[in-house]
Amino acid sequence: MRHLSTIGSAALLGSVGITVMSVLSGCEAPQEEAKNRFLVIEQQANGGYVVVEETPTEGPNRAIIRETDENGKVTERFMNEQEMQTLAQQEYDKMEAGQSELNAAPTDAGMGLAGTILAVAAGSLLGNMIGNALMGNKNFQKHSNTSNKSAYHRSAANKASGKSSTKKSFFGGSKKGSSTTRSGSYGG
Amino acid sequence: MLNLQKLTPLDDTALEQIGFTWHTDNDGSKYISDTLVGVTEAEAEAYYTAANELYDMYVEAAEYVIENDLFFDLGIPFNLIETIKKSWENDVHWHIYGRFDFSGGIDAKPIKLIEFNADTPTGLYETAILQWALLKHNNMDEDRQFNNIYQAISDNFRRLVTLFDDVEEFDERYDGWKILFSSIEGNDEEEMTTQLLQKMATDAGFVTANAFLQDVKFDEKGIFDSDENQYEYWFKLYPWEDIGTDEPELAMLLGTIMKNQEAILLNPAYTLLFQSKGMMKILCDLFPDSPYLLPTSFEPLEGSYVEKRMFGREGANTKIVDAGGNTVSEVDGPYGNYRPIYQEYTEFVKDSEGNHYQAGVFFAYEACGLGFRRGGKILDNMSKFVGHVLV
Repeated sequence: MRHLSTIGSAALLGSVGITVMSVLSGCEAPQEEAKNRFLVIEQQANGGYVVVEETPTEGPNRAIIRETDENGKVTERFMNEQEMQTLAQQEYDKMEAGQSELNAAPTDAGMGLAGTILAVAAGSLLGNMIGNALMGNKNFQKHSNTSNKSAYHRSAANKASGKSSTKKSFFGGSKKGSSTTRSGSYGG
Repeated sequence: MLNLQKLTPLDDTALEQIGFTWHTDNDGSKYISDTLVGVTEAEAEAYYTAANELYDMYVEAAEYVIENDLFFDLGIPFNLIETIKKSWENDVHWHIYGRFDFSGGIDAKPIKLIEFNADTPTGLYETAILQWALLKHNNMDEDRQFNNIYQAISDNFRRLVTLFDDVEEFDERYDGWKILFSSIEGNDEEEMTTQLLQKMATDAGFVTANAFLQDVKFDEKGIFDSDENQYEYWFKLYPWEDIGTDEPELAMLLGTIMKNQEAILLNPAYTLLFQSKGMMKILCDLFPDSPYLLPTSFEPLEGSYVEKRMFGREGANTKIVDAGGNTVSEVDGPYGNYRPIYQEYTEFVKDSEGNHYQAGVFFAYEACGLGFRRGGKILDNMSKFVGHVLV
C-alpha cells in the first residue's frame, strides 16, 4: 500500500481502543478506580445540598455536613464512611425502585443529602461496578456534575459574580435531539 | 460484481458498551450491516487520490468564490460572509475534518463526487472505530482496512498549533490552549461524535472540555463554559448556516470574537463554502476536465438529473428526475427553503439485491479512511453503514 494507512494496533486508538478491545475480549469496559475522598457538603438556600470541597484521601471516605437552620445558624457535623454508605445504599435502592430524585434530570430545587452523596461518591462507597453502571445513566451523570461545586469550581464562579457579566447563551431550549435514533440529526 | 463478505456482527450490548447506542433505526432494522465491502488496494488508492485532488480543487474554488464575491450564488447567509472571509485569511483557522461522498470507485465504476460534508460530518464513529472493531471481532487482519482516521484527526488537531510544520513540534509549542467541544443535547449520535473528537484532541495533547451548545457563554471577549472558564478554541457540531439563519446575534458575536482573536472556531467558517452544494457548479466551471465531477448547474439539466438543495443533509429534499422530466425518486425534508442545485444523475454501485452503495472518504489534511452507506436510489437517514476490508 503506497499511501493507505491502517490502524494496525488498538494502541493507536487511544482510550477508545482500550475500551473496544476489552469489550471484544468479553471483559467489562475498563473501569475507573474510584478514590476515597473527604467531602464538605453544604446546604444551600433552597434546602438542597452541594459538595463545596473535595479532597482525595488515602483514608476512608468521610464528610462534613454544613447546614443552616431556619434562624440562619450554621452547624457542622461529621459523617463517617459507614454513615455515608448507609445513605448512599438507601438512595441507590430508591433509584432501583424508580423513586429517587436521581432518576430525573436535576431541578432548581436542589437535591437531598443522600442523593448528593450518591451522586458524587457512588463508586467509592458502593463499589466500582455500581459506580460505573450509574455513570452510564444520563440523569445521574448530570446530577454528578451539578452536585459538585468543589473548590476550583466555586472560586471560578465567585470570581465571575464579582463583575456584571454580559455573556450570553444561545440555542435556547429548542435545540434538542431525539435520543438514540439518527433522525433529527444536524450532522451530514 | 460487488465483493461482499458476510461476518459475525457485534451484538447490541457490545455496541452499547463501546458507546455506540444508535445501532437500531426507527423501523427496528440494524444500522450496522453484517457484511463488509471487499475493496482492492488499487480501488482504495483511487479513493485516496480522488479525495486529495478534490480538496485542492475546493481550496482553489473557495479562493475564486471569495475573490469574485459569489456568496449569494452558494446560498451563504449574508451575516456570515465577513466571518468566512476572515477565517480564510489566516491558516490558524485549520480545517479539522470532512467527508467526501462518492458514487462508484468499486465494481469498475468511475469515482464521482456526490457532495462534500465539510462542516459537520457524522458517520465518524462507524468509520473510524466500528468497522475496525468488526475486523477484530471476526479475527480478520486489522491492517486490511483503509482507516487511519483516529490518528489523522488527532494529528490535525496538533496542526492547530504547528500548522504546516511537523506535528512532532506540537509538544514544544503548545502552551495549554484549551478546546471546548459542543453538540446539541439529547442526540446520542451527535453527542458521541463530539466526544470522540474530544478524545482525539485529548490524545493529541490538548486540554479539552465539553458543554452542550445551550450551556456555552459568549461575549466579545471570548467563549466560556458555565464555570466561566475561557477557551481558545470552540468546536461545534452544529451547522454554520443554521447559526447564520437561526442565531443571527450569535453569528455576529462569533464574528467579533474571531476579529478580536479571542477564540478560533472549528470547523472554520469557510467550511460552509465547501459544504454548499453550489460549490460543485463552481468546480465544474473551473475544472471542466476533472474526471471526478458530474455536470452541475443552477438550472435543470438536459437528460436525467438529481435536484438537491444547497444545504440539504442526509438525502433530504432530493429528487431524481429522468430524461423525460418524470420524478423517479424523491425524499422530502426540511431544507426546501434553500435554493436548488442540479447535478447529472449517476447510478450508485448496486448489489444483487438492488441495494445502492455510496462511499464516504474522510479527509483530515489528507484522505484518511473509507466507509460505505447502503440504501435506495437516494441515500437518506435510513441508509445503513457498511464497513470494508482490503482484498
